[in-house]
Amino acid sequence: MSAAPRRNLAGALILGIPILWILVFMLLPYGIIVTYSFWIKKYPSFMPAFQLGNYVTLFTDPQYLQVMARTLKISTLVSLCSFALAYPFAYYLVFRCRSQALRTWLYMAVIAPLWVSYLLRAYVWKTILGTEGILNSFLISTGIIAEPSPVFLYNQFAMVVTLTYIFIPFMVMPIYTALEKIPRNLSEASADLGMGPWRTFLHVTLPLSMPGVAAGFTLTFCLSFGDFVAPFLVGGPDGNLVANVIATQFGAALNWPLGSALAIVMLIIVLSIVSLSDRLESRGNGGEF
Amino acid sequence: MKTQYLVTACALSALAGPVLAEGSVSVLTWEGYADPSFISTFEEQSGCSVSATYVGSNDDFAPKLMAGGGIYDLITPSIDTTKLMIDLGFVEPLDTAAITGWDGIYPKFLGQDGIQKDGAYYGMPYSWGAIAFMYRDDAFTTPPTSIADLWREDLKGKISLWDDKSAIYVAARKNGDMNIYDLSDEQIAKAQEALLEQKPLVRKYWATAGELVDLYKAGEVVISNTWAGYQSSLLAAEGVKVTEFIPTEGAEGWMDSWMVVKDTPNKECAYKFLNMQLSELGQCGVANVNGYSAANAAAAKSCMTSEQFAALHQDDPDYLDSLLIWAPLADRFETYTNAWNAVKAQ
Repeated sequence: MSAAPRRNLAGALILGIPILWILVFMLLPYGIIVTYSFWIKKYPSFMPAFQLGNYVTLFTDPQYLQVMARTLKISTLVSLCSFALAYPFAYYLVFRCRSQALRTWLYMAVIAPLWVSYLLRAYVWKTILGTEGILNSFLISTGIIAEPSPVFLYNQFAMVVTLTYIFIPFMVMPIYTALEKIPRNLSEASADLGMGPWRTFLHVTLPLSMPGVAAGFTLTFCLSFGDFVAPFLVGGPDGNLVANVIATQFGAALNWPLGSALAIVMLIIVLSIVSLSDRLESRGNGGEF
Repeated sequence: MKTQYLVTACALSALAGPVLAEGSVSVLTWEGYADPSFISTFEEQSGCSVSATYVGSNDDFAPKLMAGGGIYDLITPSIDTTKLMIDLGFVEPLDTAAITGWDGIYPKFLGQDGIQKDGAYYGMPYSWGAIAFMYRDDAFTTPPTSIADLWREDLKGKISLWDDKSAIYVAARKNGDMNIYDLSDEQIAKAQEALLEQKPLVRKYWATAGELVDLYKAGEVVISNTWAGYQSSLLAAEGVKVTEFIPTEGAEGWMDSWMVVKDTPNKECAYKFLNMQLSELGQCGVANVNGYSAANAAAAKSCMTSEQFAALHQDDPDYLDSLLIWAPLADRFETYTNAWNAVKAQ
């Protein structure tokens, strides 16, 4: 075999495999879901059609808008809580932690839970937050409360706590990376020009770390936006999220068309958030000043 | 001890594989319905190896079978789902002449619409029970007797309800509508309203048997509905004292049937399996493992002790008659599930 066809073959493989991958594992499934979303529910199952009824239902029946609004609220809260905890932590690791060993240990402490089953980690919060759980025993033993309180578990609070715990590594990692990339001499220069530590942080460090923050927000938001295990394990009667409704439509209600339409709406929301954050990140990288 | 060793050895050899077996059968069923305690005996006697996949709810059957046939030979949907399986064309008519013990089945079950179509039977009744209610003994001085107790303000945050369209049945009965499988739109709307009114009092809607057990064990709830016999015995084993009761508004009844998946290549083993399940081995097998009542009264009588026979209401036709056995909702199904979903969405 001569060199040219071999090179062509190699080229075809390099390009072909990813294209095939995208085709088979992304475009094809999405295509199927999009197709289903135009079908119509008819006992005993559903049948092919081309109509927008499912989408109309999603935006006219208040139950779906309610669940979407709740999901947006929960994922926004999870992202904000993760940010509030992760930023100071990452900042400490990069700028304040003097010992390399300690830094590695602390960083690993955040990453390590990712190796434990997601389900197990969510389950653990049940034993912590429950009426007869660890938190209540602690509060009673310290005399802060007299009776075990049921307010920690089976509500939206428990969901935010659990999801924040589970997804916070995805906030820490990009912020850590972004902070680490900031040249130290910039803050020195800022100090030389008479800026205090706060103003240096606000005008130099924070803006330069924005790409990491945006990436962290996107990851935690999208992950919690599609979650359906936390509502099931630690959520209460008012904890239904979009993913739970999709699961119900594909299972109990046997209404795959409506479930597909909901999945498409969810996909559009997530994609717009990703592209928005992409724009934010590239603006940050390009330097906005 | 020696026999036990022998049984274990047989079970192991059965597990060791289809190489030894003459045939095989694959079942999609509830946990306990293919329990090794009686299935290993069957495998040994019939030469058919059994592989079981378990479902968590009746909603799992259709999506699993819709994904494509050729995997499962037998399924056990409840009587609210059997009709759907027939109408979806997933199952085939039974050759009742090839099933010994068919005549021993309670006539009430053989009369159910859900397992027949055009004069043919598609389901073999297997086990049954009530959707009873249950409370924690130490939480009540006067035992609850009514569905209305699940709407009591003073039990706020201690109530649980099954996450199923059955919630509509419960709320309708509370409203005094006893035609729970044939509710009008207004009646369903009223039931939905009642459930919304109850919602702030609910600690958690339970989805699986294990979840309800956990809720009682962790002291989170004190009253709920339940699959009679099942969760209460699991709780008893954990040392949690609960009592089941049939409320004054009556209880739903469920009945599970074995159905043969259309065009199964393992028909011979499938029918051997059906025969076993309707015999003493299968009927007392499920009664002992899950605490459910048996559909074949004749077999149950010969393999149960008189105490068990009485405890499972096998000797009490009035009890069975008092249950509102789940009926297929057909094209009303969507209205029911939609109402329940709307409650959960709020």
